[in-house]
Amino acid sequence: MRRKAVLLGLLLGIGLSQMGPFRARFEAALHSGGHEFAQVMLAQDKGQALCSQYRDKLPPDLIPGFLAEQKALIKYPANGKLMGDWRNGEKVFTDPKRGNCYACHAGVPEEVAYGTMGPSLTAYGQRGTAEPVVRYTYEKIYNAWAFVPCSLMYRGGVHGLFTPEETADLVAFLLDPESPINRR
Amino acid sequence: MSPRVWWKVAALFLLALALAQGEVDPREEAKRQKQLLLETAGILPTELIVEQGKELFNRKGPSGKTMAECDFGLGKGVLEGAAARLPRYFLDTGKVEDLDGRILTCMTRVQGFRPDQIRRQEVVAVAFYIASFSTGKPIQVRLLFPQERELYTLGEKLFYARSGARDIGCATCHVTYVGRRAGVLPYADVLGRDKSWTHWPAYRYSNDQIWTMQDRIRACYGNIGHPQPNLYSLPILALELFMAYQNNGAVVEEWPAFVR
Repeated sequence: MRRKAVLLGLLLGIGLSQMGPFRARFEAALHSGGHEFAQVMLAQDKGQALCSQYRDKLPPDLIPGFLAEQKALIKYPANGKLMGDWRNGEKVFTDPKRGNCYACHAGVPEEVAYGTMGPSLTAYGQRGTAEPVVRYTYEKIYNAWAFVPCSLMYRGGVHGLFTPEETADLVAFLLDPESPINRR
Repeated sequence: MSPRVWWKVAALFLLALALAQGEVDPREEAKRQKQLLLETAGILPTELIVEQGKELFNRKGPSGKTMAECDFGLGKGVLEGAAARLPRYFLDTGKVEDLDGRILTCMTRVQGFRPDQIRRQEVVAVAFYIASFSTGKPIQVRLLFPQERELYTLGEKLFYARSGARDIGCATCHVTYVGRRAGVLPYADVLGRDKSWTHWPAYRYSNDQIWTMQDRIRACYGNIGHPQPNLYSLPILALELFMAYQNNGAVVEEWPAFVR
């Protein structure tokens, strides 16, 4: 409860000194939008609350701690393999309910319906499959905020939009030389 | 210049032309579609809805009164420029109300309808009708009453809030990524150049929908996989007040608008 109150204070940017009727009215206002709507708003985690409060531009002194906390949220597949099956990776990549990656990124060259919010991922595999590349790709997909605080790219792994195993499949879709994203 | 250089210049010119055509200005495209529709049908969907709204406006409710008995902010029955000054605080209800909400108040408190008798499509049609009296008027929204200021603060917080499983909020796309796109259209500069508050209520020709800003905000949340705030609820009203205030002074080009 105390934790929730702290986060709400951050969301509304009114600090802890002004709890009471003022905050209660804000909370009631959110609830008038519906139970589900209010729940999602009130369930902001610390990262979301900080990005909201500072409008995506964190003060420099908060960044190291922010990155460390986000890094700690990353989970890995039980078998330890960070590169899985690219075929399943393509399904997760395309699925609007899971990766939904085409909303922002170009991928397979034949796919023309893609957004331009993020960089093109076509031929991403030219980076090779050395361990640091695989690890960076895995962690970036699982939790983008562990590298760029408050970036647009959502933390699909953290929110359970895809599992650690599916994250490894996404890595394979990007890095496997056999993946259509790397076909010439 | 040698023929080779001329050839290069011509090729560059053609390339520029092709690129320009690939990125059509959505507003120009909407104008073109509107003209096409007008030529083929002879009347615009917006005009039909305004006409329907006019009939509903002049229809007597259970109390025997029409909506001309209602005050939309500038006095009983005054519609000229009224919508451009909403949302605002109303003394008779003790609430901040937008156009949708004020129509609801009018139909229940003045006309005597029960809330369950009121159909959303009727509210939208009346909103189209009333908004049509604000074409050419500047947006003039004030933060005079504490209720208005408090709601504005909530709206601002919601606009910049990042939440939900997609870690997104309004500002993520409509401030930070203006001009980029996730779907077909580039993201509008809602608070800045595009003055998006003045684009609604509108007819969307691509989906054949008639929407007020309430519907537009709900669709935004839906698009980012977020639970949608209820119609007529305070989060929607708060966002509207914030956007309207940010667009103060912007002149309404046409209400109801015609958009993609």
